[in-house]
Amino acid sequence: MSKYMTFPEVAFKDRDLLIAALEEIGCSYIRQGTGLEMGRYYSEQLEQKVAIVVPRGAIGNNYGDIGFELTESGEYRPVMDDLDRSRALNGRFIPKLRAAYNERVIAKVAARLRGTTQRAVEGGVVKIKVRF
Amino acid sequence: MPEIDFTIDEQTGEMEMKVEGVQGPQCADVAKLVTELLGAPEIEEKTEEFYTRPHVKPQVQNKRKA
Repeated sequence: MSKYMTFPEVAFKDRDLLIAALEEIGCSYIRQGTGLEMGRYYSEQLEQKVAIVVPRGAIGNNYGDIGFELTESGEYRPVMDDLDRSRALNGRFIPKLRAAYNERVIAKVAARLRGTTQRAVEGGVVKIKVRF
Repeated sequence: MPEIDFTIDEQTGEMEMKVEGVQGPQCADVAKLVTELLGAPEIEEKTEEFYTRPHVKPQVQNKRKA
């Protein structure tokens, strides 16, 4: 059954880094604001108001939009249709977004520390060393 | 030279970090910088370096008589 679900275990703190990470993994026409309504394409999809919207169909999310709600603690949590969970980016939407976001966090930390970075990929693990 | 080792699991997108070569509470300052962008870590372990007090040489001022 199609319905919008929130992922409480996944949170992103920095809006700019989140937008950049979404763009990197292929999301386009991203809308930003407050109280943006997610599209209701099926009767089971209840009203959802969010701060960021990735439109339906952008990355294989054929059942609905992907949204990010801003919590009271200032974090952005993803909201997406239950059926898109296994379809958006072939079910890899959340892991890919987290990895892209985390790489941006590292770049920002390195810049603030005026450090240098060294990146390597070994067996499915990205290793980044920041020296400062 | 101080460094931070980050590892990102491509399967899950989860990240781990280890701060090395930074002694004492300054290590916590580096961790704070990261948590500002990531949120509170699920697991946090302090290394031995955290409990090492940084060696600071006392500054001696030479007073000269005019």
